[in-house]
Amino acid sequence: MATTETAPQTTATNGSGDELLVVENLVKHFPVTRGIIFQKEVASVKAVDGVSFTVRKGETLGVVGESGCGKSTMARCVMRLLEATDGRIIFDGRDITHLQRAEMRPIRRELMMIFQDPYASLNPRKRVGFIIAEALEVHKLGTDAEIKKRVQELLEVVGLNPEHYNRFPHEFSGGQRQRIGVARALAVNPKLIVCDEPVSALDVSVQAQILNLLKDLQDEFGLTYIFIAHDLNVVRHISDRVMVMYLGHAVELAGRDSLYTAPKHPYTGALLSAVPIPNPEQGRARKQIVLEGDVPSPLNPPAACWFHPRCPRFRDGHCNVETPPLYRFEDDHVAACHYPLERWPLTDEEIRRPSGPPMSPPPAESA
Amino acid sequence: MALLEVNDLKTHFRTDDGIVKAVDGVSFSVEKGQTLGIVGESGSGKSVTCLTIMGLNPKANTISSGEALWKGKDLIRMSSRQLRNIRGDDIAMIFQDPMTSLNPVKSIGAQLIEAVMLHRDVSKKQARARAVELLKAVGIPRAERRIDDYPHQFSGGMRQRVMIAMALINDPDLLIADEPTTALDVTTQAQIINLMIKLQQDFGSAIIIITHDLGVIAEAADDVVVMYAAQVVERAPVTNLFNRPHHPYTWGLLGSLPRLDADVERLTQIQGQPPSLLNPPRGCRFHPRCPYVMEICKTEQPALAPISTDPDHLQRCHLDEETKDREAAKLLQGMVAA
Repeated sequence: MATTETAPQTTATNGSGDELLVVENLVKHFPVTRGIIFQKEVASVKAVDGVSFTVRKGETLGVVGESGCGKSTMARCVMRLLEATDGRIIFDGRDITHLQRAEMRPIRRELMMIFQDPYASLNPRKRVGFIIAEALEVHKLGTDAEIKKRVQELLEVVGLNPEHYNRFPHEFSGGQRQRIGVARALAVNPKLIVCDEPVSALDVSVQAQILNLLKDLQDEFGLTYIFIAHDLNVVRHISDRVMVMYLGHAVELAGRDSLYTAPKHPYTGALLSAVPIPNPEQGRARKQIVLEGDVPSPLNPPAACWFHPRCPRFRDGHCNVETPPLYRFEDDHVAACHYPLERWPLTDEEIRRPSGPPMSPPPAESA
Repeated sequence: MALLEVNDLKTHFRTDDGIVKAVDGVSFSVEKGQTLGIVGESGSGKSVTCLTIMGLNPKANTISSGEALWKGKDLIRMSSRQLRNIRGDDIAMIFQDPMTSLNPVKSIGAQLIEAVMLHRDVSKKQARARAVELLKAVGIPRAERRIDDYPHQFSGGMRQRVMIAMALINDPDLLIADEPTTALDVTTQAQIINLMIKLQQDFGSAIIIITHDLGVIAEAADDVVVMYAAQVVERAPVTNLFNRPHHPYTWGLLGSLPRLDADVERLTQIQGQPPSLLNPPRGCRFHPRCPYVMEICKTEQPALAPISTDPDHLQRCHLDEETKDREAAKLLQGMVAA
């Protein structure tokens, strides 16, 4: 398996015992088959290709990356909505990677998801009360009267009128629908909520309402989030730690401040420099690292470092030969690059020319 | 004379529920070689404004009034034949979604050549050469070969480049870009914005860029129009707007934006929802959501008027300037303090 080369031992686990979720070397390949009766696997889309991370209790792990980098597939594997091809998912001390449906059911109560599209993720033919109550009924958490009371409580918690219990989703605006999605996820008192682009479809003012709501709920109920988004501003606002994904790999994982003020991976640098700043003077003065070309196809990803065909620091004979492991820097900061950025921001010239020798293996497994 | 001057433009749609006033008295102008940014949330009327200028609204249920003077001639009163000559030639448009705005069963070359031959009296060969030239200009590698590819063979960013090539192929004087980067990733967005700025320098077109992203506005626009509930609430040169925003709605937009250059624990949020355009609130349209609302706001609509210190900076609010100076300074300071 290709993933063993990516040094699975170098997870960001620090073994402090407060991990709610540990993901080890997660792999998800989608087969591409040819033939109708005798299906032959001719290739595979390597959507997630060896991702390891941990999520601690009460924190928010932000996940950023461009479309097609595998962040949603990763989330779906963690939720067990997709079967992982390889790797381990340990939730609250228990390996849930291969649990059967029935064994999984009690765990599903503790693992909820908020989806991107508030229009598509609510059943248009069911009343809001039913949508929120469904999980409570499936898990048999109370009598009808208790469930109704709980649903009204939840509507109030997310800032909706409890009397709107009997309305249909189409009677609500986009932001209100996303609140319903949040209420549904909260209904069964989950430990971990995976938010897959929860604010991407919303206008900025509504986005601010939902982000504030998510933060308030976290403070109130001690929730843990995995927050997936492609907007780096949003991720910075809500996360404690951030993971950057590229082509099915985690290329960098660090505390929020560390990642945004001292990115190590050139891809992270490029992402940060591309974010438009809502300030005309600063925005026009900043230096952008403009990446050439497009993200390669995960059907046939580049050899060795996945980023090398677009990397401004590419060194022939090294980056395209040796796969970079996750090197460890100070403060639990890890990045998969042989020539990490020395500081931030850098000038054009400095970006192109790494000053030091390459990082030396072994990648500090002992740390 | 301004290249395009829009005066008191109104677009109302007749629907089963009543008349939706999608654009209700919008005025602005665009100068040659300048970029105007129109910013606002979904349903604020920014796209409909541009569709009206282009004459692209459905005829059956639309009532338009006001004027849109294109080099002195009113686009609103033109026949569809006259408009057809202007569209794609003098004024071109880029749409939000590059996936749905190209014809999937024709090669991009055929679509580009069609755009040239509709407006220019040239041979197919010349048109093709022009198409290749433009594809190169927008940075599509191996343009001579890729011209015969179909839209599905391009990635999202590349498709948007093809759209830009198509829009620029007849050297338009005005390019209208409706959310040109909304469907794109951040690195691709940076590529496209840089491309538009560069092409503007090379071709000298004026641009109207419609977006909900204040970051894109700050980067690309010279003048900014902020729209709320079918009306312009603030209009100013870009640095003036960001240095000294004058309308509580603009403050709300700026405050609700999480940003890389400032640290805030809680985002300021605008309470409530945008109003229905079937039946907009009396008085100032923003008053039900405005934290500074006064009695007068509920009955009397403020006019779009210049502020005392800057005749180019127009705003639509009853609040006195002293209070505004104080509140805006507070907001901006909060951002710098981080």
